[in-house]
Amino acid sequence: MSIDSQIIGDFTPPSGRHDEYLILAFSPLISPLRDRWRNNGLSADFLGDYVITFLPKPSNAPNAETRQNEIKHAVAYVVNELLENAMKYHDNQVDIPISIHMELNSEQITVSVRNGISIAQAERYRTFIGDVLRGDPGDLLIQRLEEGAKCNLPNHSCLGLLTILNDYGAKLSWRFDPDAGHPAIQTVTTRAVLEL
Amino acid sequence: MKSIKGESFEVRLMDDSSTVVFKGALRLTGMEDYAPILEMLKETLATECQAVVLDLRELDFLNSSGITMFSRFVIEARDRARVNLQFLASEAVPWQARSLKNLQRLMPAITVEVA
Repeated sequence: MSIDSQIIGDFTPPSGRHDEYLILAFSPLISPLRDRWRNNGLSADFLGDYVITFLPKPSNAPNAETRQNEIKHAVAYVVNELLENAMKYHDNQVDIPISIHMELNSEQITVSVRNGISIAQAERYRTFIGDVLRGDPGDLLIQRLEEGAKCNLPNHSCLGLLTILNDYGAKLSWRFDPDAGHPAIQTVTTRAVLEL
Repeated sequence: MKSIKGESFEVRLMDDSSTVVFKGALRLTGMEDYAPILEMLKETLATECQAVVLDLRELDFLNSSGITMFSRFVIEARDRARVNLQFLASEAVPWQARSLKNLQRLMPAITVEVA
């Protein structure tokens, strides 16, 4: 049975208007999760610094420098969370690279992270996305924090996505694709758009 | 003074047992890795009628697992009466203005002093 691609949210294809873009790819089979984790932080900080280079220089306006610092931090946070999720949920049985694509134009910064997940994991992810789209991300975040404390859950999955939506005001969308070489695997691309 | 150090961070419980100072970037992998820091935070709740201060002014980065850790501590503090919880924050560290409001939603009595 073939599985079609599925798009959730406003997963707009690249407009061709992007002025700058950058792609990084990691082969998850090469090193253990703990070593790769360090790489998440390094990549996040790098992309935060990188993006600032292409923004207009701070003007003399009182808050211009603060605004640059906020954008740099927002990019670093979003990249770090998307990479952490990709590393956590990536299916290590197959040699599919985890990739991150960032592009920016004068209006927005787009960060897309792609990884491979099992069909069962993809189903759980879609259920979570459904919950997010039906409710208010701030309320859902608080609800999940309360539940996590009550049940002492080891890790609250997808909390990072809720903070990206609620705390950073990013727009999220998703694309699920079948993987030709691995029928039990799908690739998922999670895209976050930060308006400038 | 007790201290927990990692490659990119340091957390110190001061001798008064009611002030915890955070520095650097906290990006641990999950609640298991954050458990020693959460335990250190809970030591501040050992005394009744305590004023507890978490100094975050030099905590430049916190991932969502770190936010979860702080939420667990805040919920525990909230559920014990008589804890006066204060965060020291910095305008120069953007995550604090964005994410501390979630902790205030969990415990409205938290005070945040921004330097």
